[in-house]
Amino acid sequence: MRKLFDATFFTLTLLCAVTACGVLLLLVSAILFKGFPALSWHFLTEQIRLVGAEGGIFYNLVGTLILIGTALLVAAPIATGLALTHSVYLRNHRAKRSLELLLFTLNGVPSILFGIFGLIVFVKFLGWGKSWLAGGILLGVMILPTVTVALLERIRMIPRKYIEAAAGLGLSQSQIVRSIILPQSIGGLVTGSLLGLARAAGETAPIMFTATVFAGAALPQSVKESPVLSLPYHIFILAQDSFDPAITTKLWGSAAVLLALVCVLSLIALPLRLKIHEEAQHG
Amino acid sequence: MVELKQVSLPCQPEPISAPILEVRNLTVRAGKRVILQNVSLAIRPNQVFGLIGPSGAGKSTLLKCLNRLAELTPGLQVTGDVLYHGRSIFDRSVDPDHLRTRIGTLFQQPVVFPRSIYQNVIFGIKHVGDIPRRQRMEVAAMALTEAALWDEVKDRLDEPAQRLSVGQQQRLCLARTLASSPEVVLMDEPTSALDPKSTTAIEELIVRLKSNRTVVLVTHNIPQARRVADWLACICVTDNVGQMVETSCCDQMLTSPQCQAVVEYLKHSQG
Amino acid sequence: MSTISPPATLGLLPRRSARPSVTRLASFAFSLLTLAFLLLMLGLFLVQSLPVWRHSGTGFLTGTTWHYPSKLFGSLPMLYGTAVVALIALALAAPIGIGAAIFTSEYLPRRLRLAVKLTIELLAGIPSVVYGLLGILFLRNYVSDALTRMGLDPLSGDTLLTAGILLAVMILPTVMTLTDDALRAVSAQQRVAARGLGLTRTQVICTIALPQARSGILAAVLLALGRALGETIAVFLVVGRQDNVWPQHLLSLRPIVKAGQTLTSKLGGAEVNIAYGDPLHWAAIVALGLLLLVVVVAVTWIGAALGRRSTIHA
Repeated sequence: MRKLFDATFFTLTLLCAVTACGVLLLLVSAILFKGFPALSWHFLTEQIRLVGAEGGIFYNLVGTLILIGTALLVAAPIATGLALTHSVYLRNHRAKRSLELLLFTLNGVPSILFGIFGLIVFVKFLGWGKSWLAGGILLGVMILPTVTVALLERIRMIPRKYIEAAAGLGLSQSQIVRSIILPQSIGGLVTGSLLGLARAAGETAPIMFTATVFAGAALPQSVKESPVLSLPYHIFILAQDSFDPAITTKLWGSAAVLLALVCVLSLIALPLRLKIHEEAQHG
Repeated sequence: MVELKQVSLPCQPEPISAPILEVRNLTVRAGKRVILQNVSLAIRPNQVFGLIGPSGAGKSTLLKCLNRLAELTPGLQVTGDVLYHGRSIFDRSVDPDHLRTRIGTLFQQPVVFPRSIYQNVIFGIKHVGDIPRRQRMEVAAMALTEAALWDEVKDRLDEPAQRLSVGQQQRLCLARTLASSPEVVLMDEPTSALDPKSTTAIEELIVRLKSNRTVVLVTHNIPQARRVADWLACICVTDNVGQMVETSCCDQMLTSPQCQAVVEYLKHSQG
Repeated sequence: MSTISPPATLGLLPRRSARPSVTRLASFAFSLLTLAFLLLMLGLFLVQSLPVWRHSGTGFLTGTTWHYPSKLFGSLPMLYGTAVVALIALALAAPIGIGAAIFTSEYLPRRLRLAVKLTIELLAGIPSVVYGLLGILFLRNYVSDALTRMGLDPLSGDTLLTAGILLAVMILPTVMTLTDDALRAVSAQQRVAARGLGLTRTQVICTIALPQARSGILAAVLLALGRALGETIAVFLVVGRQDNVWPQHLLSLRPIVKAGQTLTSKLGGAEVNIAYGDPLHWAAIVALGLLLLVVVVAVTWIGAALGRRSTIHA
């Protein structure tokens, strides 16, 4: 009797696992399968023509890279500051918890609200119009929690003996931070940044009102009125008029490229994350 | 020069009952590393069988093999045999879960579940046994009495078990194990986390238990072994591998050990 | 995002010296900057939405008609749409995700579990626009066919149901990963003790692991809910973007298989650009954003509180 219950439970959960993994893998294969025919060097390096029905996505790729590059420059220092505040400078337990809550909250804010916020502040109030910089800043703030958490986890793993030794030699707090904590936590910063950028690369909502256009832009010339093209927005617009078969292949190709970019960024972080995971298990 | 061959000495009077648990050429590996090699011993019913030896020698591992709890640790490979009532416990027809109701375990750290005292005691029989609900209270009372805890908790059975002191918690864990009426109780250093008073209480319990059960006890504490055990086996590490070095009745081993390794160990423990 | 535990090592650091450190100042400045960002967002949304609160009062929340040319701003259908889509997503994703997590964390050996976990995390990184694309090109047709076969005669495959199903797939990895974490956090000692009493593996899962992981699993579901409520792009592409869809009778399920509108699909649409010229219209749009912010943050906070409780127990 018990054995029957055992077997049933096992089978049910197995089915769930198979369904979950199956569905997700099916998605990826669908994209790759459909998108592969459209991919070529030509596709990547030529710019858009004929509203996406002809030509390639060169400037879309460039635009996305500009956006996430800016996001990185914004997020990295701020995340480091947040991580140091939490691990080093705040001693009160409740203050630490509050900071964690701040990060948790920021992580939960829907991305479209970043877009609306950006519309109010950057586009209208500061008068920038659509600007790559606005997009980069918004994306950077959006990925702060991801980068900060990775940093915090890395800092947590710094062995006590290093800190003890340094304090024993008479180093001050800020000296220890600069000479031990920061250098040791670079791995976490890299991992967190890669994961954050992978997320930022695929986001449409924060940039569609503030930074990106569908056509008519190449490299930005200044800050104001300097939108960029981007991969996710490109897909977003084309997807809404997806009845032209010529467009459909390009659409799949763009999706495949975006996916590849996100995957590459996540996969580079993988060895580091595995190492951190292993150390956490045995450390 | 350390003697490696296993020394088995006769004691007076000669024991006559057939062993309830027998270990034959047990070898335990974790990956490439050999933890225990070729251990053989015989445990007779209604006695307290002590496993002594330096820490890290593999005593706890050996204990866990006796009711197949070792299988729960991933990566451990067990070769050789363990016979319970003459039948191999690794036989296909043996249900390891059922085996563990016959051969219970008491761990070094008392592990109480986040439930009431009563729910803890009946945890095993509630989910495994065929004991109907009405009889559970009776079984719980008997188990708690046997574990010398009844008087202290009888008025507060519904309180959370975590409120008990460590010594009481360990007795609770013993009661929980005893509720399933196991024939053998395996104990892995059950008093090393306890204060002296609780330790004495548990030791008295162990001696009382052997009248209708068998106890296999792993202990670091030689005086404890002297007080409590009838028969001993010493597991020592030689060539980085745990091996059973000597087994004999308690008095004989501790007063006149034959094995050089045991002598060394006793000198270090008492010195 | 996994729960953050306080670092153990750094209590050893000496107290700060009298001289202010640049690093310290900068770190605090950045932290305050982050806080300021959130507060500014909240503040701006509050201020810019004032006109519509003055104009419609609570009618904004209870009105069932949204028609901006006539200055009618009732958001109830959008609240309904948001709720329906999120609930459908949860109803599908929670059981499957929790079941799958139980399987991977309890039955799979360590290496396989890690492989599955990392694969799922990778798949969680698929951008929402790609999900939207898949929704348009595949899911939409399946739903349309299925509904036609059931005799429901849909206009297209763009329905609240479609959006719900798509969202379910999107939040599945979140549910799985966080539930897996919650189960892993349950004391191994207790599991072994229960096995020692003769309980089977499944019994240990049901009597020890699941009960103790309860608050962590609830947290996982709530965080997934938060994600579902806030998802814009994928929902936008398949929900139909039809205003004022509202059940005629109280428990009617009819609107679920029709095109609808959610808070996020409205906020991601063209009306946002149109609205800017008119202060009242703009206020209405921002008020929608404010509603979304408040609801999602509330759900996230409850999830965080529950998640914390489970780590304290462990």
